[in-house]
Amino acid sequence: MKKDFYEMTYILNPVLDDERFSELVSFVNKLIEDNNGDVVAVDEWGVKKLAYPIEKKSTGYYVNTYFNIPGEAIQVIERNMRINDDIMRYLTLKYDSKMKRYFELRQKGEAPVIFDEAEEESNEEDDN
Amino acid sequence: MINNPSHPKKGHLKSKDCKFTKAGIEYIDYKQTETLERFLNDQGKILPRRVTGTSAKHQRQLTTAVKRARFLALIPYVTENMR
Repeated sequence: MKKDFYEMTYILNPVLDDERFSELVSFVNKLIEDNNGDVVAVDEWGVKKLAYPIEKKSTGYYVNTYFNIPGEAIQVIERNMRINDDIMRYLTLKYDSKMKRYFELRQKGEAPVIFDEAEEESNEEDDN
Repeated sequence: MINNPSHPKKGHLKSKDCKFTKAGIEYIDYKQTETLERFLNDQGKILPRRVTGTSAKHQRQLTTAVKRARFLALIPYVTENMR
């Protein structure tokens, strides 16, 4: 079966404790694996302040996952995410080749820097 | 504009060439909020291309990136102190 590379970021209810957080993360990972997917990376950003309140909460626990999965499984996963009350929001992105290349660079820590203070100064010199 | 020292209209983004093209960017990541904020005014609106000098291709990517970041509450839709 053809698998595509996906990225999913979701926000968990911050009121819960650490135990429940890891439980939910493994719930999502299990959901992916049960649908013929394989998890590539899980990145927990932890509790972060939200830019605007969601469900009357001002913070959220962010989790960022990367996985390979056949396309049909996405709607199953998203449905389960929507039903779960502790997942406040999620965003799934399908990666194209450019995004994948960027992701690989980022994994190696070689992602191109757009604004580098030192670089900007040298750029100014170049302009003259 | 008054509060934001890195505002492009204040001459911070002087050059008229696209920052993304220069850095050889292929995909603008919504997770890099610091970069995205450079292209917003202090109300949280996306700055026009004529101000930032971004190329059309990258401006389109930037717009999607900003909207994704807004959805995940990484960037505000509207900045509160303005209301």
